[in-house]
Amino acid sequence: MAQRRELIKGSFDSLILCLIDQQSMYGYQIIKELEKRSQGYFRFKEGTLYPALHRLEEAGLIQGRWQMLPNVRQRRYYHITEKGLRSLETKRSQWLDFLTAMNLIIQPVSD
Amino acid sequence: MATALSHYLESVRENLRLDHSVEREVIQELETHIEDELQELKEAGLSEEEAADTCLTLLGSAKLVARQIYEAHSQGSWAQALFAAMPHLLFGLLFALNWWRGVIWLLGMLVLILGMAVYGWWRGKPAWLFPWLGYSLLPVVAAGLLLLYLPEGWSWVAILFYIPMALWLVFSITVKTIKKDWLYGSLMLLPLPIITGWVLAVGPVDKFPEYWLQRLQDLAPWIGLSFLALAVAVATFIRLRKRWLKISVLVISGLLTLALVAYYAEGSLSIPTLLILIIVMLILLLSPALVERTLRHTR
Repeated sequence: MAQRRELIKGSFDSLILCLIDQQSMYGYQIIKELEKRSQGYFRFKEGTLYPALHRLEEAGLIQGRWQMLPNVRQRRYYHITEKGLRSLETKRSQWLDFLTAMNLIIQPVSD
Repeated sequence: MATALSHYLESVRENLRLDHSVEREVIQELETHIEDELQELKEAGLSEEEAADTCLTLLGSAKLVARQIYEAHSQGSWAQALFAAMPHLLFGLLFALNWWRGVIWLLGMLVLILGMAVYGWWRGKPAWLFPWLGYSLLPVVAAGLLLLYLPEGWSWVAILFYIPMALWLVFSITVKTIKKDWLYGSLMLLPLPIITGWVLAVGPVDKFPEYWLQRLQDLAPWIGLSFLALAVAVATFIRLRKRWLKISVLVISGLLTLALVAYYAEGSLSIPTLLILIIVMLILLLSPALVERTLRHTR
């Protein structure tokens, strides 16, 4: 469990960038989407999402904007920035390289 | 919204210690999250109370969330670090380059410090303001001390009018600073024990001004060095994200600078005086945390 938590922690920013790249999202939506797409694998304390969003926003990788809903409530939607797109591209390629290398070692060699 | 959830949001707000506009946005965002979560849980068949309990469990510790959001925002830019270090830097240069003998330099410095303090206060008290604010209180204290040396009979004017007024001003500014974040109170008070140390090292008050000026001249490079050290510490403070590191930088730099004062004072500071100064420094740097806690309980 602790190992899984460490793995998620290390890739949390990439996961958020990946989701926001496809569509602008708000905090609760990101949590639910991560859980749904990973079939329940990515489940964590929901409060910890917001520090990550604020950290990414401070770094200029995403940008939050308040949007008024029909029921007069407001939601903060996050969009990816140009800098965020470049960072995501780098992270994606690093992750794929890492995955390929891991597979080469972990998977049993077929004759 | 259930009381437990309101308490959760209040606890996050209390521990954020950020600008009010950022705090408002963080709380509003969490509030919307909680409302979405509650609605979904109730639609899944949970009672109001069960939904609130589940929501709290899913959110995790309020203090941890607040601390992590604080760390996301707490790092100042290099420009802010330079701005915050500037009053220490100028004060250091005043002595290192022997500008302290020039009335124009002194007046220029005074005007700049007061101007920056008023400007920063008016601009919503950014982190770089507090070192300026600390120095802007110095002339108030110094004027009060000088009034005590007025011709006999006149010093009662200082005791009756000036000192209570000056104390009230210093106290009210310190409390307002601590209300924003106690660490800024410590940042503001940091040079006070160092200045006191140098005043004691320069010599006895009854030998003012000839002996004083000569000693000041001799010690000026080291006085300059001590304030340049504080400038580096303050710039580091602004650039750090974690609170415990910020506190450590203030305490360590304060103690090292006091050690530097004692070393170059060449015996003018006795061991008991130095120990008292160290205790005063620790009280000044850490007591704002207790004041903040008391203020919160009072509220």
